[in-house]
Amino acid sequence: MSMKRLAAAALVFSALACASMGFTQSFSVELGATRGPVQPIPFSHKTHAGKLNMACRYCHYGAWKSPWANIPAMSTCMGCHKIAVADRPNIQKLTGYWDRGERIPWVKVHYLPDHVKFNHKRHVLAGFPCQQCHGPVQNMDVVYQYSSLKMGWCVSCHRKYLNDPTHPATMDCLVCHH
Amino acid sequence: MSDSVVFSRRDFLKLVGVGVAGAAAGCGKPPAEKLVPYLVAPEDILPGVPYYYASTCRECPVGCGLVAKSREGRAIKLEGNPAHPVGQGGLCARGHAGLQGLYDPDRTRAPQVRAGALFKDATWDVALPIAGAKLAAARGRTLILTGCETGAMAELLSELAGATGAKHVMVEPFAYEAVRAANQQTFGVAAVPRYDFAAARCVVSFGADFLETFGAPTTQARAFAQMRARHDDGAGHFIAVEPRLSLTGAGADEWVAVKPGGEMAVALGMAHVILAENLAAPVAERAALLAAVAAWTPEAVEKASDVGAADLQRLARLFAKHAPGLAVAGGIATQGTQATALVAAVNLLNHVAGSVGRTLVFDRTVDFAGVASFAQFAEVVKAMGAGAYDVVIVHGANPAYALPKWAGFAEAFAKVPFKLSLSSAMDETTALCDMVLPSLHPLETFDDHRGTRGVYSLLQPAMKPLPMFDARPVGETFMALGRAAGVGAAWPATWMEYVKARWQPLHARLGQGRDFENFWLDSLKAGGAWEDVAAQPVRWTGTPRFEEPVRAGEGGCALVVAPSNNFYDGRGANRPWLQELPDMTSKAVWGSWAEIHPDTAKALGISAGDAIRIETAAGSVDVPAYLYAGIRKDTVALALGQGHTAYGRYAKDRGVNAASLVPQATDAACGALAYQGANAKLSRGTQAAVLYLQQEEKNQHGRHIAQVIPVAALLGGSQVKPQGVANGDVVESKPHLEDYDGHYPAGEGSLYQDPVMSKPGQHTEPLARPGSFKTPAHAITAFDPELKVREPRQNAVDVGSYATTNPNAQHRWALAINLDACNGCGACVVACNSENNVPVVGPDLIQKGREMSWIRIDRFEDALEPGKSDVRFIPMMCQHCGSAPCELVCPVYATYHNPEGLNAQVYNRCVGTRYCSNNCPYKVRAFNWFDYSAPEKTTFAFPEPLNWQLNPDVTVRSKGVMEKCTMCVQRILEGKGNAKDEKRPVRDGEIQTACAQSCPAQAITFGDLADPATSVHQKSFGERKYWVFEELNTRPGVTYLQKVKRDTRNGGPA
Repeated sequence: MSMKRLAAAALVFSALACASMGFTQSFSVELGATRGPVQPIPFSHKTHAGKLNMACRYCHYGAWKSPWANIPAMSTCMGCHKIAVADRPNIQKLTGYWDRGERIPWVKVHYLPDHVKFNHKRHVLAGFPCQQCHGPVQNMDVVYQYSSLKMGWCVSCHRKYLNDPTHPATMDCLVCHH
Repeated sequence: MSDSVVFSRRDFLKLVGVGVAGAAAGCGKPPAEKLVPYLVAPEDILPGVPYYYASTCRECPVGCGLVAKSREGRAIKLEGNPAHPVGQGGLCARGHAGLQGLYDPDRTRAPQVRAGALFKDATWDVALPIAGAKLAAARGRTLILTGCETGAMAELLSELAGATGAKHVMVEPFAYEAVRAANQQTFGVAAVPRYDFAAARCVVSFGADFLETFGAPTTQARAFAQMRARHDDGAGHFIAVEPRLSLTGAGADEWVAVKPGGEMAVALGMAHVILAENLAAPVAERAALLAAVAAWTPEAVEKASDVGAADLQRLARLFAKHAPGLAVAGGIATQGTQATALVAAVNLLNHVAGSVGRTLVFDRTVDFAGVASFAQFAEVVKAMGAGAYDVVIVHGANPAYALPKWAGFAEAFAKVPFKLSLSSAMDETTALCDMVLPSLHPLETFDDHRGTRGVYSLLQPAMKPLPMFDARPVGETFMALGRAAGVGAAWPATWMEYVKARWQPLHARLGQGRDFENFWLDSLKAGGAWEDVAAQPVRWTGTPRFEEPVRAGEGGCALVVAPSNNFYDGRGANRPWLQELPDMTSKAVWGSWAEIHPDTAKALGISAGDAIRIETAAGSVDVPAYLYAGIRKDTVALALGQGHTAYGRYAKDRGVNAASLVPQATDAACGALAYQGANAKLSRGTQAAVLYLQQEEKNQHGRHIAQVIPVAALLGGSQVKPQGVANGDVVESKPHLEDYDGHYPAGEGSLYQDPVMSKPGQHTEPLARPGSFKTPAHAITAFDPELKVREPRQNAVDVGSYATTNPNAQHRWALAINLDACNGCGACVVACNSENNVPVVGPDLIQKGREMSWIRIDRFEDALEPGKSDVRFIPMMCQHCGSAPCELVCPVYATYHNPEGLNAQVYNRCVGTRYCSNNCPYKVRAFNWFDYSAPEKTTFAFPEPLNWQLNPDVTVRSKGVMEKCTMCVQRILEGKGNAKDEKRPVRDGEIQTACAQSCPAQAITFGDLADPATSVHQKSFGERKYWVFEELNTRPGVTYLQKVKRDTRNGGPA
């Protein structure tokens, strides 16, 4: 192998390395890496949904009424944290936002691919536990995207429930793509 | 060179591929998106779920009830309010486009103060006190100029005017002066009556565009369709007496091409025949009336109106025979120098035919109380020019645009030291002002509207005021101005409180035991409150003198300047949806044109689209010519609404302002401006102009797209068995058609062999299916009821490409479109644009056939000459074919058939081959040639904040993908979801497509064809049904119902 061939190979390798780094960076959110993004306040689902056993719907109040699960208004947080552990630094950070009338810029965790519509209400009302798609959120200190949310993943489940006697799923493209 | 780098092709590609992937992946990371919570979640609002607010449309003085759909605090769609007596659930194209007034990117963003030739941004704190001080200083020398205001606003303005000594003048370009004056004279009631089309059995329109702008078009369209739907007795004739066939007249069974100004003679002549021949029950004043019309013998009328004596007698007899008839004078015919006399003549005709009180009812009247006539306004302008006013406040009126130059408004206005506009848009009049205090859009504020007697409509905010516009409710601004001038101590703090206080008397009357707060809330929910009003009894109170109008000015052509179905008087011109909605007469978009007869054009040596110069005493314009067979050879017509010199990017510098041609003439009896009837000189124009046509060909070329059936074929027990029709006339039965069942023979794959059809130039229709008619074998599809589509596993029905994988398909969604009801108004087109995020592409792309609308209305002129008219409108959208040509050719399965019969288009699968569009016989697919959805592109169709209107349930399509009608699948899913929530099947009528919901005439029915009980099933399998291009075996999911033609020549059956 001439030097130039070697150089070319090195180029290929370095490009590959760059690419793989790029991939991990780029898709760390989308593909459900083990870690979620850093949030402005390190809110722990493990504490709230796990230890305190709060119902998901207490905060995600649209999950069974709206296509969107929604995130809680800050007044919901403050409902408890005006009193509950109000002395902790992170809660004081929350109180700071609240007192300033600022809204917490939470970082989005779940990325649905483009050009697709998902309806929480229909799935929750069909009796699926939230964990089916979101994973064991009650054990997650930092929430990450558990499922790929890609079409193959959707379809695998829809195919399984195609002939479900009570809640038949559909394989029709239009249901999500319109 | 031996050791030069030699890459094999494979290595090279690897390298390049990896490099590109690295570049794409490494640099393409999207920024992390943020989820921003509410601080405090608003009560009753759940993101993702729509909310509906009842309000009232303020796009024209009618005030139809509407419901605004709001998502996440943004109004995204307007629909008619089915509970409201005005509009009854329909909403016209202009009403839908009200949203684009709300989200107009050119709305005034902050108070403006004039600094030399330009405006400067100011704050309310600075501007309002200046205006208040000016008003206080002006004392009585103030003029408040508004459009037609009713209810609380009218009260506030009269209080303000009374206390400050100001003069309040309401102006409307179409104030129905003649109708009010003539009704006062002949019936003693100065109001526009309710025209009960539904009760009429024959309608004669004297220039009244009652399906476009005259009266209450949406309500009237519904009632008119009901009249036309009665096929049991063969009645329901509609005759249009007008020199230029309007869009309303295009639906007529007969076009009486009267000489401009001759309408009155025709009405009097018909009355004469009815009286002289004793065709109706005699009226008390018979002798006196006969004397009044004695001079108007059929022969005299022929001379005055160009309508043959025999024709006149025939029409009079037809009108009297089909009692109760309804003769309507209105629209542009009542804007001539003898307009009051014309309305009086038509009243006389109604009176002698016994229609008054039956079809001409004075219950829900519109009185336009206090609206100045043109003549009265001209006096005000004169006083203004003489320096009578120090301050003029303008709101809701745009006289600088609407009035011809000779009225001298701009000059007089310039003499006023301080001119203040309370407009939200920078229109022509506002641009002349010294200060602008922007007002909120009606969809952002409380208000009420009391246009129609007994109907008290409410407006409520459908959303919080848009943050980018620093505007205030106009009522509040008026109140603040009043307070600055030292009046209004008793006024409440807010405009809402003011409106509420004005509802106290109504509460006393209509409260029905509720306390006021509950009455108010109930009224807000319902869109207002209404009460039954007894018809005012009317009797014949006086006969005016009838004189023939004299045409003034030079030139051999009579000028007709008509209000536009799209823009009304021009106030709709800054709405891109309306600019792109083709005018349904010429099918022109984004500009002006003049309608002239082809023979007139030939004599002038010009062809279609050439510039033509129209000169009157008032001025001249150069516009492209549209050759229209539906206009008399001695007439030229222009539509109002274009030619703005301001009013935002969509309106400015498009076409010509037709009002500039209207010469100085009024009707002395009522003071109305004469838009019609002056002489005009035509010549070849010099300025190049472009005529943008969305549809050029208006001939069906024997393709049977829009079909008709004579009413005789629908009569029970009728012996008439027509087998074909040529231009609306029954032709002899053809022996070879005796056994023909109305469908093309199966399997032969060719057009059916009809010698009549194969003759060039002759037009036939497949007609008259016998009672035993069954769907032919070849047309059996998923939706055939006999095959029990509800248990698809029990039979081998093809339910599309998912037949074996989805046994749960319960429905076959379908549309039935009644061509007899469709009047071509275009409401469905704008409703669809609004629901489905359809971009507006502008004139150049339209010219290339690249319009994006998912539904269009095709206009076909099968016969168009005086005495004969057969114009057909056919709404055309994706036919959702059971055997769709588009699905077969898509290489990537982007278009496919869904189990519920929808022809689906998956945008993210589409790679843009456009094969589907090429293979679609209906031309209903639209391709995104450019990025209409990318804000950084010049083709961006939704400049901020127009994009706030986008429906979040519908994908905004990007460049390179095909799109088309989805039968509003997002609404289907929502409806199915609602039914699932309540554990019940979907109810018929629960799901409506945007087009079906909006149709004022209820021509479009949506539903489940698989359920025999549904309305769409009954229509699709009932009489008059046909499929467009049935011979192509596309098996559409859209069934059309033939338009019914009535014979006015032989007196009609029954």
